[in-house]
Amino acid sequence: MNKTLLFILKKLGSLLATLVIMSFIIFMLVEIMPGDVAQMILGQSATPEAVSALREARGLNDPVLKRYGRWIAGVAVGDLGDSIYMQGVAINSILWRRVGHSIILALTAFIMFVPLSIFFGVLAGVKENKLSDSIISFFGLATMALPEFVSGVFLITIFAVQLKWFPIVSVIPIGESLFSNLNILILPALSITFVMFGYVSRMQRSSMIQVMNSDYIRAATLKGMPRSYVILRHALKNALLPTITIIGMNMGWLFGGLIVVETLFGFPGMGSLLMIAIKTRDVPLIEACVLLITVIFSLSTMTTDILYSFLNPRIRLQGGQR
Amino acid sequence: MKYFLYQLKKHPLAIFGIAIIIFWLLAALFGPSLMQFTHTQIDSDFQMARPGEEGHLLGTDSLGRDILSRIIYGSRSILTVALLTSILSTIVGIILGFMAGYFGGKIDAVFLRGMDILMAIPPLVLSMVVLGILGNSTILSLTLIVSIAFIPATARVSRGVLLTEKSQEYVSAARIRGEHHLYIMFVEILPNTTGPIIVEATARFAYSIMMVASLGFLGVGLQPPTPDWGMMVIENKPIITQAPWAVLFPALAIASLVIAISIFSDFVSKVLIHEQ
Repeated sequence: MNKTLLFILKKLGSLLATLVIMSFIIFMLVEIMPGDVAQMILGQSATPEAVSALREARGLNDPVLKRYGRWIAGVAVGDLGDSIYMQGVAINSILWRRVGHSIILALTAFIMFVPLSIFFGVLAGVKENKLSDSIISFFGLATMALPEFVSGVFLITIFAVQLKWFPIVSVIPIGESLFSNLNILILPALSITFVMFGYVSRMQRSSMIQVMNSDYIRAATLKGMPRSYVILRHALKNALLPTITIIGMNMGWLFGGLIVVETLFGFPGMGSLLMIAIKTRDVPLIEACVLLITVIFSLSTMTTDILYSFLNPRIRLQGGQR
Repeated sequence: MKYFLYQLKKHPLAIFGIAIIIFWLLAALFGPSLMQFTHTQIDSDFQMARPGEEGHLLGTDSLGRDILSRIIYGSRSILTVALLTSILSTIVGIILGFMAGYFGGKIDAVFLRGMDILMAIPPLVLSMVVLGILGNSTILSLTLIVSIAFIPATARVSRGVLLTEKSQEYVSAARIRGEHHLYIMFVEILPNTTGPIIVEATARFAYSIMMVASLGFLGVGLQPPTPDWGMMVIENKPIITQAPWAVLFPALAIASLVIAISIFSDFVSKVLIHEQ
């Protein structure tokens, strides 16, 4: 138990180090962005005196390191600063609602693609080189390659324009919550499912094939156990391991996918907020969004690592080397 | 090569994929000069013309620009950027990964640490933010930024490949002969690792197309008036009920190209891994 605790602590430590370095890189990146923040707040017609007064008041003339220190100290106590584009509204008051929306969208996609891709991956693996395998494998190869907005456009054309089952845009009417508009989640979640299905089902298929050809499965079959019992009780347990890793590793694509899908459907989530921040050159908002994505993404990668080492005792002692 | 052709006969799907790739390459090279309309020409009398109307084979968009010539012209930029990106990220990946794997120790530790940091941001988010901040993307900036975002992946593959080769006897023989480290890495080891590296590079090509299309869609790709497939999808999305062709044809162009490249890269990996 001590060893595993140490392992988790080590991971957390390196995560923290990564985040500190990353936050500095993000800060420096935004630094080089053309344009003056004070000028942006006051507009083009502002006098040079007013601009320099505001620069002084906001501490924009301080050295970079000092400003970084101030920002990161604010972040550490949960103050993400004010948005410029939205006239000084606290970022905390707009960001978290959208993060919630994105999480619900991601979860919806998760609930769709995980069982689907594991089921079809196992099916393809068990029926290796049969017709059903070829169909599933080709479908996986095709959907894996499609960017989310392309599959999204196809889905919109079929289900929103032709059949009119779902709305073309996923906006929440003012004064209503996401929960009274759950139908807007379906098409965006399906678009993400398409890409993920490809990755996960292909992985599941190849690990299933590997396990089905192993000695212990052969032994179980020769002992006369029914095939379905062998597949469900013996093979699946081991064949799921690589799939869990691949799901965790693809969280990165899931994030990129969220931004693309939210932009396509106009869904009010974190991804479309980052998009707005970039378009309007809203420095504090960009920093807050990117930092948050980095935190969530690193945490999910770390969780995958830890989960994997728990499920697979063979690598537990090596201290999480990949 | 003969073996490759023999394998091709056994995989009819791969022939289909290669045919589509060749089609797009030819379209990018010669297509624009064959078009009846130019990609920026605005035909204000025929806005949102249906496919086939007035010589517009795939219809026009809300400004009356010919969809077909915009798609054909747009194939140039996406193929150029994706090709350059996969080549650049593979080469830099080989150099970094080989150095780290070959020398090991502190260099390797620094390398892994650096890659961990770069990997803390999803590649699409990284490229989108940096390109958005820089503004006015060009072919050069797109290629450079997307390559950087891809380097952790390519470098890790190269490092892994090198580590499996490093313990081979011909490497220690070259060391005893007193060959230079660079000579051992790139003249002795590299030729023996072409299989996995080519597999990675072709897969990288498919990812690059996906990425460049997505960046164009997000509006941080090449700037107008250069037509970009991803951008065509988002700028015509508001008129999807009146003129679905303006959205569907660019989306189909992206789909055909990425699926063809995926089929091809799947085939390459089957052939090269089977070979070993």
